[in-house]
Amino acid sequence: MTAAQQVRAFRGMTRAGTRSVLIYRGDLLTGAVTLVIQVVLAIAVWRIVYSGRGPVNGVDGRTAVAYAAIAACLQSALLPWQFSSLPMRIRTGQIATDLTRPLGLMWQALGQNLGVLLARLPLGAIGLAAAGILGALMLPPGSGELLLAVIATVAGAMIAMLCNLIVSMVAFWTLEISGPLIVYRFGSSFLSGSLIPLWFMPGWLRASIEWLPFQGQVYTPVSIYLGQTRGGMAVALVGVQLAWLVVLTLLLQAVWQRARHKVVVQGG
Amino acid sequence: MADHVPSWFRQYVILERAALRAQLQYRVNFWTTLMGGVAYQGTQLLFLGVLLSKFGVIAGWGFPEIAFVFSMRLASHALYVVPFGSLMMTDFIVREGDFDRYLLRPVSPFLQLLTREFRLMSLGDGVLGIGALIIFGLHAPVDWTAPKLGYLIVAVIGGSLVETGIQTFFCGLSFLATSTFSLRIFADDSITRFSGYPLTMFGRGVFYGFCTAFPMAFIAFLPATVLLGRTSDVPLPTWLTFASPVVGLAVFALGYAFFIRMLPTYTSPGT
Repeated sequence: MTAAQQVRAFRGMTRAGTRSVLIYRGDLLTGAVTLVIQVVLAIAVWRIVYSGRGPVNGVDGRTAVAYAAIAACLQSALLPWQFSSLPMRIRTGQIATDLTRPLGLMWQALGQNLGVLLARLPLGAIGLAAAGILGALMLPPGSGELLLAVIATVAGAMIAMLCNLIVSMVAFWTLEISGPLIVYRFGSSFLSGSLIPLWFMPGWLRASIEWLPFQGQVYTPVSIYLGQTRGGMAVALVGVQLAWLVVLTLLLQAVWQRARHKVVVQGG
Repeated sequence: MADHVPSWFRQYVILERAALRAQLQYRVNFWTTLMGGVAYQGTQLLFLGVLLSKFGVIAGWGFPEIAFVFSMRLASHALYVVPFGSLMMTDFIVREGDFDRYLLRPVSPFLQLLTREFRLMSLGDGVLGIGALIIFGLHAPVDWTAPKLGYLIVAVIGGSLVETGIQTFFCGLSFLATSTFSLRIFADDSITRFSGYPLTMFGRGVFYGFCTAFPMAFIAFLPATVLLGRTSDVPLPTWLTFASPVVGLAVFALGYAFFIRMLPTYTSPGT
């Protein structure tokens, strides 16, 4: 397969992923409504928590509210439930068909995941619009920060996709992986800083979280956008994200090398 | 109908035991799922802990009080999710056509939905819920007496019925719309994230919404105000606040009635 054909095949997988989300329009609509309600409630919680209070740990109420709103939207796009169909395909034996396709299995899965992500972007945008109407959003301090925040968001999305895929690969070893997926999902929602910004965490907890890839998914982009992390520190955090991208890519490759010998086709 | 109760219970036990055996096949999954239950609810507890350690009080409620509301919610959730958790999978069962088989067997379809799978994660919820209720109950500013303890138990059961009722309502909805997954996740997530707060803090309008359209105020907050002696915080008649555990029964009855009403609208996907 030539490079051009591979790109075309990858795009095809992306389109399939997008369609798999768009086909359930009712679900998407309720998803949007519920995200708006959750954003509104999250904003309310932080406003109440901060009412009549000055900055806490150097963070004022406006910034904390904006963080909560943006993080909720980002998380709903990055970590939807049922992210990858890979475990289901391994379980049902459909993986046999996938393996015969000329495009590598990892590229198929990543393409499909990218498609799901793209299809969910409008959802995040609706959530952000609601936050904007409630006056909960803030502009970044300058265009430099904005640019860096955009780069960090893309890098964060890629980190999330790689992490999700690596976790779903556990299905090659044990067929029933709802357990690992749940631990991962809720662990990462706390560790990524989407529930509570890292700047409110006790020192020891924050120091441990900084050693993990998850802060790159939500905390890094949002704190750069809001100007809480600036200058050299912001660039360093994006550097950390890029380093994690390399590490996770190598890890995925290593896991896949081992997993391909483990493929058991169920009744296929 | 009363004659059926023992046989329903027996059927439930037999089917649930089979479901549990099916789940125990996967050892790694058993332990990780158990941890999943703890992680899911535990992150929320961690969230409250971090938040309150920085801010001290939320809307006039301190840590011991909020932690108590939260632990009541956790215990109610555990009581819902251990026996009724697999209601979450109704969409899938309807979409894949498995429901056809449920209609053929001589057991109530609702009972079969309940025993479709034993949700291991729920055991993690259970451990955390009961543990948290004991720990935070002891630290709460409540002088525990036998009637108060009795009220607590009834309130936790009532709270679990509210959650079961809401999920049963969605099961009825599954027959109309093939995908209600977003709605279920929303209900589950909202209850997890917000029902442990003093709900009056969101303002009167929203609070009344939590008492009617989405009745999560009855899960933990309202009975907790009774035990904490804070019923004056609630813009409802005091007798109603006291009676809040009974609402669980009503919510469940409504949810179940809707489910039965919607049952005939099921159309097989033909697989």
